[in-house]
Amino acid sequence: MDLRAGDSWGIIACLCTVLWHLPAVPALNRTGDPGPGPSIQKTYDLTRYLEHQLRTLAGTYLNYLGPPFNEPDFNPPRLGAETLPRATVNLEVWRSLNDKLRLTQNYEAYSHLLCHLRGLNRQAAAAELRRSLAHFCTSLQGLLGSIAGVMAALGYPLPQPLPGAEPAWAPGPAHSDFLQKMDDFWLLKELQTWLWRSAKDFNRLKKKMQPPAAAVTLHLEAHGF
Amino acid sequence: MAVPVPWACCAVLAAATAIVYAQRHSPQEAPHVQYERLGSDVTLPCGTANWDAAVTWRVNGTDLAPDLLNGSQLVLRGLELGHSGLYACFHRDSWHPRHQVLLHVGLPPREPVLSCRSNTYPKGFYCSWHLPAPTYIPNTFNVTALHGSKVMVCEKDPALKNRCHIRYIHLFSTIKYKVSISVSNALGHNATAITFDEFTIVKPDPPENVVAQPVTSNPRRLEVTWQTPSTWPDPESFPLKFFLRYRPLILDQWQHVELSDGTTHTITDAYPGKEYIIQVAAKDNDIGTWSDWSVAAHATPWTEEPRHLTTEAQAPETTTSTTNSLVPPSTTKICDPMELSSGAGPSAPFSIRVPVTLALAAAAATASSFLI
Repeated sequence: MDLRAGDSWGIIACLCTVLWHLPAVPALNRTGDPGPGPSIQKTYDLTRYLEHQLRTLAGTYLNYLGPPFNEPDFNPPRLGAETLPRATVNLEVWRSLNDKLRLTQNYEAYSHLLCHLRGLNRQAAAAELRRSLAHFCTSLQGLLGSIAGVMAALGYPLPQPLPGAEPAWAPGPAHSDFLQKMDDFWLLKELQTWLWRSAKDFNRLKKKMQPPAAAVTLHLEAHGF
Repeated sequence: MAVPVPWACCAVLAAATAIVYAQRHSPQEAPHVQYERLGSDVTLPCGTANWDAAVTWRVNGTDLAPDLLNGSQLVLRGLELGHSGLYACFHRDSWHPRHQVLLHVGLPPREPVLSCRSNTYPKGFYCSWHLPAPTYIPNTFNVTALHGSKVMVCEKDPALKNRCHIRYIHLFSTIKYKVSISVSNALGHNATAITFDEFTIVKPDPPENVVAQPVTSNPRRLEVTWQTPSTWPDPESFPLKFFLRYRPLILDQWQHVELSDGTTHTITDAYPGKEYIIQVAAKDNDIGTWSDWSVAAHATPWTEEPRHLTTEAQAPETTTSTTNSLVPPSTTKICDPMELSSGAGPSAPFSIRVPVTLALAAAAATASSFLI
């Protein structure tokens, strides 16, 4: 992972925060357990809620960044300078993802994205905007917890935190203000796209879990694919 | 008494005829095709003829007035669509056109209108285009599609000539698509382009087979069923939600219901006896826009069969004529008190003085008791 000087402290702080706030695995109550169905539904609903919240937040933030970022026609080439998790995936590959991989990709993506979001420490930003960002981060944290819950219910291990993250790093070239704004732009874009993708991911999982039969048989089925 | 024409004369005559025939019908040089702009002026020279050569011009075989001529050149001012045609100039007294021009009057293309839509998400999308105003002459279109820097193939639609299809290879892309179209004809050239995200162009086709039916014994209900559009490739992974609207024909205000799943709905607040019009629209659960409204279904809620007094009153005559103490009056006989009193049997209480309405009610009650 290519760490830039400006982001370094942010990343460190972010990693610490992620590890500290690692969502507690909900205690699995095997007796009378309705299965992962309801929590998948809840996760799906959360993605919709977040997507709605993001629309407002992104509009405000892009206005804060100013032109050309807030222009509707703004269509920059993606240089790939940012290290964001990409939602884009080959259609056939996406279709054939097994549930564990599907959930893991979602979990890892939102972990990274939350990390980056927390790094959006714009001193110049209005207090209102900072509040909205903080609120969104909290909601995103909730989504991560929800995904963790589903993975636990299905018996999948939570992905370990970023392996390549070590405290020492080589300071990269200074990030210009414009490039930093570009990174912010792509962060919001990628976040929005991930939320759209997650809605589809969780809908697919929901369909697989239906119909929710007796709790015990559901668990057997859940491990079958 | 034919004088035998010498053989030589015949031959000359035949040759002359052949030459004239050949001159008249020999393959001319192909007419020169010319495109000119509507409303403009054009001067057509008669091929290589001198300016002062004596020529006549014809259009589609009809002579043109000499006042249009400038020497041997034809001048047409303020071209209209009717000016299109085959113009030919002839030397005076000659059958043989010196020069022919196939004139087409038209316009250069205006900026084309281009739109793209995905009704088959996630398979792909199509783009269609048209010109906002006709050019009256042939146009060629060229469509190119880019995803970031990657060129995508837009396959021509087999049936529609102003449409082409692009397949999605990657889903959930943050990079916009750019579709450009250029149009050109003999008089000019124009182009336009649109840029969009994968999600914004998703718009399913309307639901199919919308059927509304009354529900027996429920005068306020209508049961509506429909099917997901057949063009939507994967309703399982990409479910649709639906929007239903209905109103009685006599009112303008629509009622709306949004349904997150299922392809049936029961309307429970229909006005009894009124014919309803019902339509359904579809949308991907999460992205894109609503489809157009479906073809309308019409239905009227169930109503109870009205009872006809006359038919009920007449029935017992054939089945139980002895037990009935009163002769059930027919429609024409109702108002005749004399008839009522003539019925045999222990009908003593029913004398002539019983008012007709009371007798009628009694008759109906008796008759209906036999029918049930």
